[in-house]
Amino acid sequence: MKRLVQYEVSDRLPVRKWVPNDIQIRQYAEASGDFNPIHLDDNYARLAGLGGVIAHGMLTMAQMAAMLTDWMGKEGELSKFNVRFEHMVRPGDTIKCSGYIRERSENTLVCDLEALNHKEERVLSGLALITIQL
Amino acid sequence: MIGKELIGLESEPVLLKIRPEVVQRFAEATGIPFDERVPPTFVGTLMQANIAGLELPIIGLIHGEQKFTYYRQLYLGDSVTYKRRINDVYERVGKLGNMTFMVLETTGYDLMGELVFSSSSTLIAPEKGENV
Repeated sequence: MKRLVQYEVSDRLPVRKWVPNDIQIRQYAEASGDFNPIHLDDNYARLAGLGGVIAHGMLTMAQMAAMLTDWMGKEGELSKFNVRFEHMVRPGDTIKCSGYIRERSENTLVCDLEALNHKEERVLSGLALITIQL
Repeated sequence: MIGKELIGLESEPVLLKIRPEVVQRFAEATGIPFDERVPPTFVGTLMQANIAGLELPIIGLIHGEQKFTYYRQLYLGDSVTYKRRINDVYERVGKLGNMTFMVLETTGYDLMGELVFSSSSTLIAPEKGENV
């Protein structure tokens, strides 16, 4: 398996696929304490103009984080992790998290990140700064 | 209602011990593996530090951006003191009309007073954040 230190500019990171569902969104509300009804109550979410419940942005960000931590293992530590939520994520969507190395120095990797849904809409874009544990 | 008068409001500091069972519940809910290291976005759930004068959620409020800076890895059982602050409120005309942006910052320190993480959330409200 390729070590973190061997990654070079433009190399792709391993992809993570994720399909959120209502149960997971409810569990996330309980675990995170974010009980905003736009995530839990379909009628409320419709009245708020969202067309139905949406997943927490932070739940999508957690999937991106998992993609990074699975890939890094103990060879790297996250020093910065920034994302922009660009599109709503709904139960049943298929989300693909991916990324590539934009810059690297001896012990730092800068990764560009994005998550697309099954309609190829970008739901999240972002950046991670990783310190390689040499 | 969100307005510029909220800028600078901050919570009292809250001392929190990161309990393994709480992290485990978070990891199971998100469907991500974890070990002795606290998952990166877990600190995004530290919202118990209430900011007097700010009532959330506001109808129509959405999470636009999230940024984390980690100064060191957090481990299960670590204690952190964190506080939240309204760093900015501004208005901008977007594709959905007039929007109000609020930037909430959370900073976490260890028992030595060293900065462990900072988190910045940009929340976006349609109109002036009034209840519809």
